[in-house]
Amino acid sequence: MKLKLDPRTKLFMIFVVSAVVMMSATTPFLLAVRIIMTIVPVVLLIIEKHFASAIRFLALYVIALVLTFRLISEESTGFLMAVLVGYCGIVVQFIPALITAWYVIRTTKIGDFVSAMEKMHVPDGIIISLAVVMRFFPTIKEEYMSISDAMKMRGIEMGGGNVAKMVEYRMIPLLFSCVNIGDELSAAAITRGLGGKVRRTSADILKMGLVDYLLVFIFSVAMIIFMVFKYVI
Amino acid sequence: MMNAVEIKNVVYKYKGGTEDSLKGVSLSVKKGETMLLCGASGSGKTSVIRLINGLIPHYYNGEVSGEVNVAGFNVAKTELFELAGVVGTVFQNPRSQFFSVDTYGEIVFGPENIGLAPDEITRRAEMVINQMDIETLMGRSLFELSGGEKQMIACASVAALLPDIILLDEPSSNLDWDAIKKLREIIKIWKEQGKTIIISEHRLWYLKDLVERVIYMDSGKIAHEWSGDKFMELTEDDTNDLKLRPTIVKEELVRIFENNTGDNYGIHLDTLETITLKGFYFSYHHKTFAIWKKPYSADDGKDLNLCIPMLTLPKGKVIGVIGKNGTGKSTFLRCICGLEKDCTGSIICDDMEYKKKNRIGFSYMVMQDVNHQLFADSVEAEIMISMKEKNEKRCHEILDSLGLLACKNTHPMALSGGQKQRVAIASAIAAGARLLLFDEPTSGLDYGHMKRVGELLRELVKAGSTVLVSTHDPEFIAECCDYLIRIDNGFLIS
Repeated sequence: MKLKLDPRTKLFMIFVVSAVVMMSATTPFLLAVRIIMTIVPVVLLIIEKHFASAIRFLALYVIALVLTFRLISEESTGFLMAVLVGYCGIVVQFIPALITAWYVIRTTKIGDFVSAMEKMHVPDGIIISLAVVMRFFPTIKEEYMSISDAMKMRGIEMGGGNVAKMVEYRMIPLLFSCVNIGDELSAAAITRGLGGKVRRTSADILKMGLVDYLLVFIFSVAMIIFMVFKYVI
Repeated sequence: MMNAVEIKNVVYKYKGGTEDSLKGVSLSVKKGETMLLCGASGSGKTSVIRLINGLIPHYYNGEVSGEVNVAGFNVAKTELFELAGVVGTVFQNPRSQFFSVDTYGEIVFGPENIGLAPDEITRRAEMVINQMDIETLMGRSLFELSGGEKQMIACASVAALLPDIILLDEPSSNLDWDAIKKLREIIKIWKEQGKTIIISEHRLWYLKDLVERVIYMDSGKIAHEWSGDKFMELTEDDTNDLKLRPTIVKEELVRIFENNTGDNYGIHLDTLETITLKGFYFSYHHKTFAIWKKPYSADDGKDLNLCIPMLTLPKGKVIGVIGKNGTGKSTFLRCICGLEKDCTGSIICDDMEYKKKNRIGFSYMVMQDVNHQLFADSVEAEIMISMKEKNEKRCHEILDSLGLLACKNTHPMALSGGQKQRVAIASAIAAGARLLLFDEPTSGLDYGHMKRVGELLRELVKAGSTVLVSTHDPEFIAECCDYLIRIDNGFLIS
C-alpha cells in the first residue's frame, strides 16, 4: 500500500504532538489519548515500510510504559530507582514527539515540503533558506565523516588530549569545505533561475486526501481534549 | 546569422586578485557550433565560461571592461534568472551543484524556478529522462549516486530548461571511463538538437569528432585556434609543447579500460621484495547478530564489498588501482589503511604483521579532497602534528624535499591545490607511513600538474615508500604506474 500524506498534515501532526507532550496526562483517559497519538505515527512508519525503526520505537515506548506502571510507585527509593524513574518519565513523556518527527523527516521530500509551504503562503525567503538548510545536512554529514577519517589516520581524533584542539581540528576544515560548497552551490542554483521575480511553481500538485482529513481530525480532537482538561476543568 | 555568443575585448580581474584573469578576450561563437576551450589551469577557461553564463559580473564581482552578448542579451544588463532559460551550465564538481536531495526534484528544479505550469514541467522532465535514458536513476537520493550518475543528473537538469546554449566546465574531472563515454553521448544528442555547446576541458580524447573549433587559452588570452579536425591531428609532441593532454589515448591503455579481463603482464614477483595483504574482507551491509558482529570471511561471497584473500604488492613501486566508479576502489584503499574498523585482514611486510589499528600507522591515505586532511594553522605545525617525536630538523628536511620550505609559516588553506596535496604527502612521510595511498590524485588537474604529481610519486618511491594510487586517468597511468590492479565489485581481477 502506498500512502502519501500531505506535508501540511505532517506539519500539523508535529505541531499537535509537540504541544501535547508538554502537558501532563493526569487521568487514565488522557493517558489513553496520548497512547493513541503515539501509536498513529508508529503505524504510519510501518505503512511506509520503516519496520526496524517502528519496532524499535514501539519497544522502547512499551517498556517504559510497563515499567512506569508495574515497577515504580511512590515508595520507590534508591539510586537505581531514581535513574529508572527519570528514564521512564522522559521516554513516556517525549517519545511521541520523537516518533512523529522521525516519521516526517524520513518520509518527506524537500520538494513536497517546499510546495506545501508555498501553498501556506510562507514568504519565499524563508522557504528557500529552509530548503537550503535541509539540503545541507547530508552534505555536512558527508564532510564531517571524511574529516573524522582523516583525523583517525593522523591519530588525532582526541586532539592530543586537548579539547579545544579537538574541536578546532574538526571545525576548521569543515567550515572551509562548507563555505566552498555553499559558494559553488549558490552559483549553480542561480544559473538555473533561482531568485527570479517569477513565482515558483511546483511539479507535484498537493491535494489533501481522505487519510489526511482523518488524521487532522484525530489530532485536532486530541488537542482539544488536552486543552479542555488543562484549562477548563 | 546571429552569433550565439559574442565576447568583445573583455578584460577581467577577480575581486582581490592581483592579476587580470582575462586580458582582452574576443570571441564569437556561431549558433549550433560545438567549441572546446583548452589550456592550463588558471589560463582563463573558467572565467570565459562564467562570462557567458553571467556569473561574471553578477555573482563574482570584479573589474570588468568590454562587452558580452549572449543570444541577443547584453549579459551585464540582464538579470541572471532571465539568462536561466537561455544558457545552461554543467559544473565541474557534481557534489556541489545540486539543490535537491532526490533525482527527480533536481531535474524539475530549474523549470519550477522559471515558473512553468506543472504539466509542462512533468512533460519536460519525462522528455529529458527519456532522451538520456536515466529512468533507473529516478526516485533515488542524490547522495547515494556515483560521480558519473550525479553528472548525468546534472546534465538532465540543465537540459530540462531547454537552453539554446550549453556550457560545460570540466565536466569529466570526476568521471570514470564509462561515464565519460556516456557524457560524450549526451553532448552528441545536444549537438544533434542544434544547441550551441562550449566545453572547457583538460581531457581531450573523448571529444574527438564532436568539436568543430578549438580555442587554446594561455594566461588570460586566446593563444591558438584550430578547427576540430586539425586539432585532433596534433601529434603528442605538439600537445606536450602546449602542456595539453594527448588527444588520443594509447591503444594499450584503451584496452585496459575497455575489456575487463586484464592481459596477464607476466609479473614475476619472486625476485622483488613484497608487501602482502592477506584476508581482506569487508561489507558495508552489517551482518549483525544480537550483540556482536560476525567477522567477515570468504564464505560471505557476493555480500562482500571487498574480498581479497591474498594480494602481493611489489615493494617500492607505483601501483595503479583501476576499476569503474563505485566498484570498490575507495573501499579497498579505506580498508588497507584501517579506516573501516570491521574489515579483517593484515598486512605483512618485512616479516612484520600489521593488523587492525596498526594498519593506520603503516599506511597513509592522501584523500581526493585534501582540504579534509589539513588541520593546523601553519604548514610546519601540520607536519609536527604527525610526528611522534617532534623533530624540527626532520620536519624541515621533509618540507625541503617537497619544495614547501618557503611556505612553512603559511596557513595550509591559503595554498594552491597542488601545494595542499604536497603538504598532505609531507605529513604522511612525517608519520612514518611506508605504504602511501592516493585516492584520485589527478582528478581535475591539467597536463602540467598531472605530470608533476606523477614525478612526485616516482620520487616517493625512490625514497623507499610503496605507492598505491586509485585513478581513472589513462594519461596518468602511462606517466607513472609500474603495475596495475583492477577491482571489480570488490573482487580482484588481474
